[in-house]
Amino acid sequence: MKKHVIILITKQFFKKTFSNKGLLALLTVFIAVLAYVTIDSWQAFEAHHDVVEDHQDSSRKSWEDSPDKHPHRMAHFGTFAFRLQHPLSIFDSGIESYTGNSVFLEAHKQNTANFSEASLSTGLVRFGDLNIAMLLQLILPLIIFFIGYSAITFEKENGTLKIIYIQGATIKEVLLGKSLGLFLVSSLFFLPALLSLWSISFLENHNLNINTAVVVRSLLITISYFLFFMILCCLTVIVSAKSENSNKALLSLLGVWLLFFIIIPKTAQVVGNYIHPNLSKIEFRAAIEAEVSKRGDSHNPNDPYFNSLKDSILKANNVTDVKELPFNYSGFLMSRGEKQSAVIYNEQHKKLIDSYKKQNSITNGLVFLNPYLAIKNLSMSLSGVDFDTYVNFLLQTENYRYRQSQYMNDLQMKFISNKAKSSEGKVHVVKKEHWKALPKFNYEYISISKTIQNQMLAIITLSIWLFFALIIMTKFSNRFKII
Amino acid sequence: MMYILLIKQFFRSKTVLLAFGILLTLGVLSISTGKQFLSQKQKAVTKTIEQQKKHLKTQTELHKDDLGLLMYYLKFSFVNPVQPLAGISIGQSDLNSHIQNVSILNLEGQKYDTDLVNPMRLQVGNLDLSFLIIFLFPLVIIALNFNVLSEELEKGTWKMITIQGKSSFRFLLMKLSIRVFFVCIVLGVLFLLAKLILSIPLNLNFLHIIGISYLYIFFWFAICFFVILLRNSSNTNAIVLLASWLLLVVFLPVVVNNYITNKYSVEEAFTMTIKQRDEYHKKWDTDKQETMQKFYNHYPQFAKYTLKEKGFSWLWYYAMQQMGDDESKEEREAMYNKIRSREELSEKIAQFFPPLQVQLSMNDIANTSLTHQVKFLDATTKFHEDLRLQFYPKIFENEHTNTINWKKYKPEFFVSENNFSFIKKTFLMILITLILVFAGVFKNLKYFK
Repeated sequence: MKKHVIILITKQFFKKTFSNKGLLALLTVFIAVLAYVTIDSWQAFEAHHDVVEDHQDSSRKSWEDSPDKHPHRMAHFGTFAFRLQHPLSIFDSGIESYTGNSVFLEAHKQNTANFSEASLSTGLVRFGDLNIAMLLQLILPLIIFFIGYSAITFEKENGTLKIIYIQGATIKEVLLGKSLGLFLVSSLFFLPALLSLWSISFLENHNLNINTAVVVRSLLITISYFLFFMILCCLTVIVSAKSENSNKALLSLLGVWLLFFIIIPKTAQVVGNYIHPNLSKIEFRAAIEAEVSKRGDSHNPNDPYFNSLKDSILKANNVTDVKELPFNYSGFLMSRGEKQSAVIYNEQHKKLIDSYKKQNSITNGLVFLNPYLAIKNLSMSLSGVDFDTYVNFLLQTENYRYRQSQYMNDLQMKFISNKAKSSEGKVHVVKKEHWKALPKFNYEYISISKTIQNQMLAIITLSIWLFFALIIMTKFSNRFKII
Repeated sequence: MMYILLIKQFFRSKTVLLAFGILLTLGVLSISTGKQFLSQKQKAVTKTIEQQKKHLKTQTELHKDDLGLLMYYLKFSFVNPVQPLAGISIGQSDLNSHIQNVSILNLEGQKYDTDLVNPMRLQVGNLDLSFLIIFLFPLVIIALNFNVLSEELEKGTWKMITIQGKSSFRFLLMKLSIRVFFVCIVLGVLFLLAKLILSIPLNLNFLHIIGISYLYIFFWFAICFFVILLRNSSNTNAIVLLASWLLLVVFLPVVVNNYITNKYSVEEAFTMTIKQRDEYHKKWDTDKQETMQKFYNHYPQFAKYTLKEKGFSWLWYYAMQQMGDDESKEEREAMYNKIRSREELSEKIAQFFPPLQVQLSMNDIANTSLTHQVKFLDATTKFHEDLRLQFYPKIFENEHTNTINWKKYKPEFFVSENNFSFIKKTFLMILITLILVFAGVFKNLKYFK
């Protein structure tokens, strides 16, 4: 393999492509759109970030400003957790529009995450989201196909391929040279996009301790997209070399785009849901209720489990009535009930998430066969806008909810008289300093190592695809016809 | 005779068989998606009816001595029934809850609870018949038409046709009409299948959906007709047509939605949700009479129920709950105004772009639009208000729980009327189609006699 021949062909492809004025126009439009999308998404992110922080602060302020109260009142006063977007969501918004943005966290009730962007949008939202990743994942591949479909067929049709061959260039050199040339042309499109990515990761530092993680994420995203576009360029050239004429090459590539980028991803998710339907909310709640009444319902005065618990507590403390206990009994009862129902909720919630995971498993399994799905999943995960990140957010809110409820139950057990009948008024209260003492809800993004772990298959897939594309070009070059 | 030959030629192409094969396979898949969607929703409704009966029974037994306490726990369901047409155009109905389960407490804290749906599924979107029509049919139309004329020009057969004396324009029209005919047949078959599988009643709504779909298909034929009559090479045609598809179906809708979302960001939703919590909870620590005064102002008919001097009373408790709703009204209205602005702007922009217009109209007809969801939320408020008006006096009178016939409280269903105006929504699309056709013919008058 002669390096200079490859470089020569690369240069020739590059020059020839740019002799076409249309391409320059296309490039200009693409970069203009890219600039618009970057600025627009960035502004939207900043605005959303401010909105979330403002509301988080104002909600916390009214929590801290609450006067001396009965702790159980505060347990129901509750906390709002508003979801902060990951800075890289400017680059790829993933499932961001479809995930709930606010959860109300109160005692013995797990609320849903509400007000997703999509739920407040018209049907247009279902056409998709506008962001840099969408340009790179859906539009740029088409552009690459348009630029490269005639890479080889054009030479064939003009008879120049024969001449190049006779002059001593082998087919694999031609293929590699053209792929490299196409890659160089496409890099004019995607390098500016990656520049946007890097400016986001360097300039967007609201939260300093995630900064190194953001840089690592950006680095991995960069590598992934490099691999992805290399694969696409090689594939385009291979298809062009395999096709009889330019017309067929173009049609095949468009077919590939439609199949791999639109039909397969959509069908896979639909089939996943078809095979593994999940519980509706009403069934989910019914399942929890059934389990609670089986294991013991602290809100039911005749519940056998909690009545036997009462008896053993009375016995252990050598008293006959709960009023004589050294701690507030209803606080104790609620703390036990909370523990019980939280365990049950978590079990059912895990089942629900597992059924979601099963639904996604078809798509995730196809990652290996479809580099588009691989880059989509990788890009989403690395940008902190994927399914795992969201589930992790939900788990964090539930953990906080549980801690907050038990904190209030503890206060009640310690400070509220056993003779208190109601939580009303200024009689049975604890000092407001206790509200401040409960730490704020602090959302932590999923760790980068966890993300890499989740997306190992996608990373391997991209490497393997590139490897195979190169093998096909170099080892099986005799399969390609010159005429 | 000529037609038969042309039809034979048409079906010889692999592209044609492949395209129709894909359409029919995905068509069946999309209809079954719709079917599954409908039956899941139906199952949830059945479960809701069952669950409410059970819930009422257990709760009325547990708290039979205290109506105030019982009403704290009791929840009543309000259902937005999903029409069979939603199986064709799922729209926004998969991400909005179609069953409300509310107690007479503060409503704003309950109304916006979401259903349980996999967000990955929502992001990828539904493969329903509307997607197939809006997204894939145009591609098939492009694949069938882009080289109808250019292929003959390139192969040199067009000259043979023109010298045969017969009108070459008529020949082209014949070729095109075959394509129009068979694409219409495929679409018709899919609608027939949808009708049978989803058991859609043959009413005006269904006819509107069919009508708008056919108009949309004609719109794409018109684009193809216009482009092929520019008499460029097959490759150029393919690229021009695909670029228009990409622009109209993929890119523009996304840009439009993005623009609308950012122009009207609904941050009031957060403000409202905090406010409704704070306003209720504050009342535990403020002057009782002040709260009661506000409550009496809202419901003068309950002014006869006065608070006793000391201790807890349900009258005061429910008045406090009411304040959560009443005093977050301003923020709530601001939120709904934003949502309304989103709807209006979407509609305004969509009329110029058939893919957007068709999607929004189909959602509209199938009652799966945002507008419909907002109507359902409004109806929920009314449903909730009715419950309050029924139970408030009973609680304040301290009535015993057994004086109420609990059996009559079954889930209620939301009834909505649909005033979809077919002509208004399709007028511009028809106009664009006609302009394209005339422009195509006009530019080619010199070729065709």
